[in-house]
Amino acid sequence: MKEMILQGLSQAYDNLVHMIAIFVPRFAVMLIIVVVGWIVALALRYTFRAILHVTRLDRISEEAGASQVLRKAALPPMSELLSRALFWVVWLGFMVLGVSMLGIPELHEQIARVFQLLPQIFIAILILFFGVLASNFLSRAALLASVNAGHKSPRVWSGSIRFVILILAISMALEQIGLANQTVTSAFSIVFGAAMLALALAFGLGGRHLARHALEQYFGSRKTEEDKGEEPSPL
Amino acid sequence: MVEEILLADDFVRQLISVGEVDILVGIPSFNNAATIGQTVLAVEQSFQQGFARERVVLVNVDGGSGDGTREVVMNTRAEKSSSGRGLTSLRTEQRVVTQYGNAPSASLAMRTILAAADLLRAKACAVISPATSNLTTAWITNLLEPVYRDKFDYVAPLYNRHKYDGLLSRNLLYPMSRSVFGQGIRELHPSELGFSGRLAGHCLAQNVWNQEDIQDAPEIWMALTAISSDFKCCQAFLGTKERASAGTAPDIVTAVRQNVGSLFWCLDAEEDFWMQRAKPEAVPSFGSESDLTSEPMNLNRQRIFELFRSGVQDLAPILQTILATETMAEIQSVAGQSEEKGRLSGDLWARTLFDFAASHHHAVLNRDHLIQALVPLYRGRIHSFLVEHQDSNAEQMEADTENLCVQFEKQKPYLVERWQAKA
Repeated sequence: MKEMILQGLSQAYDNLVHMIAIFVPRFAVMLIIVVVGWIVALALRYTFRAILHVTRLDRISEEAGASQVLRKAALPPMSELLSRALFWVVWLGFMVLGVSMLGIPELHEQIARVFQLLPQIFIAILILFFGVLASNFLSRAALLASVNAGHKSPRVWSGSIRFVILILAISMALEQIGLANQTVTSAFSIVFGAAMLALALAFGLGGRHLARHALEQYFGSRKTEEDKGEEPSPL
Repeated sequence: MVEEILLADDFVRQLISVGEVDILVGIPSFNNAATIGQTVLAVEQSFQQGFARERVVLVNVDGGSGDGTREVVMNTRAEKSSSGRGLTSLRTEQRVVTQYGNAPSASLAMRTILAAADLLRAKACAVISPATSNLTTAWITNLLEPVYRDKFDYVAPLYNRHKYDGLLSRNLLYPMSRSVFGQGIRELHPSELGFSGRLAGHCLAQNVWNQEDIQDAPEIWMALTAISSDFKCCQAFLGTKERASAGTAPDIVTAVRQNVGSLFWCLDAEEDFWMQRAKPEAVPSFGSESDLTSEPMNLNRQRIFELFRSGVQDLAPILQTILATETMAEIQSVAGQSEEKGRLSGDLWARTLFDFAASHHHAVLNRDHLIQALVPLYRGRIHSFLVEHQDSNAEQMEADTENLCVQFEKQKPYLVERWQAKA
């Protein structure tokens, strides 16, 4: 009995030693991969940032209004943001690779799924980024055009354009990473359709006098504000 | 050679058959069949009266008219007087017609005229608008003579105008260009102008013709290039500039975008020149003093001020990125006052424009958006101008314009400071 216990303990000890003997080198390999990955990611970050400085991305981003959005969100300038994003994507890739070296089958499966998702996440971020740029640029263009034309409620027009483009970009980004595909598409269709229907009803029923007046002005006698007095010729 | 790339074979053939000339008059056109015949006759009469011994050519550059404009140019003939003793030129009067494209383009039309002038080695050139219905032979002679006889390189016109016409020139283009570039040209974007073959060749050789900012108003760039490249500039009185009929003149937003866009672009392009320019110089003028007329006009001052006030309010976040904090606060204070009291003073207007110019240089915003954001403030300035000058005569308005120019000149160090500051 005593011998059996001692033999069991000895086997358990041998197994533990064997496991440690296998795990420690793998752990060391993982650490090396993570450290090398950090160095590579850092080098890529500085190189990428230098390239972005040369292409004057920050100025383009400033002109397009993206920098304003970033400042409001307490985020760094565009070139810094993109180079940091690259750093984290690369280092995360190395970390995942390192963890996979530990040889745990369950982890392997999860890691493979994360790897499959990475390109989609990257594309989704790009879609969101360009969506924010487009919404800023177009809403500002609409605001300036309607202010200069003397339209009523220019901020409503510009805000609506910003809202629609952002919703479109968010739904496209979510669809890209496959997050509740059906729900997102249906939700977008419902929200967009409802907004359009509400506008049509509001204009056609609630504001039918306004609608009639506006259409009469446009297609009819075209008696506009200018008839009440002109602006002096600029040239 | 630029000409080889730009000019159509048929056009080059016509120019070669003309040979070298002394005088060239260019007429850019687009659907001007109704008036261009009169313009052609006036040009040829001016050749006969003022330049009978010179080799002359009339060049019509057309933007693809569909109303037979080009045919009118080729077929218009002066009626012979009954006595048969009318004035005639001692040399053949040549006419050349070309179509530079299928849509009108101010820049392409000007470039074609410059290329023709360069190819024909013209000594003096003029550009005449076929839309000017009260054109006389004296207009053309007055534009050509300072170049041909007095060796000037650029001749800008001076007109008699309605006191409320050309307010963008009076309140913005003239004072700003005069204070920055050191020479004041009243009509920076004229429909008629004169220039030397030397200036034509210089402008043609510049690598700017594809620049978006000067496509609609190349005349502004040409005038400022003449100043900054030390060409001799002058102004010549032509006559009364007729008021544009409704629908033909560019609206206020288009005019600001085209003209201020070109002016700001020139500020960027000629930075080295104007940064070192210390004292303004007077530009010589020929002919009688220009005058102002004051027929009653149906102006809606209340609405202009309302557009200024709502513009300042709605565009506040955009204006804050363009204007200095103090300038923004002062503008908001003016917009907060009543229509009777709110005035955008000359000093504030100068600082506002210099803030815009510096922000345009630093590209703090999309440049077209930035210029559009100026429109409500321009309306504010115009409102102040209309209130101040409802009963003013020509002398008072001239004195006020001079005073505005002085305000701009005083503020030039402010522009330099903002220009050189980091964005």
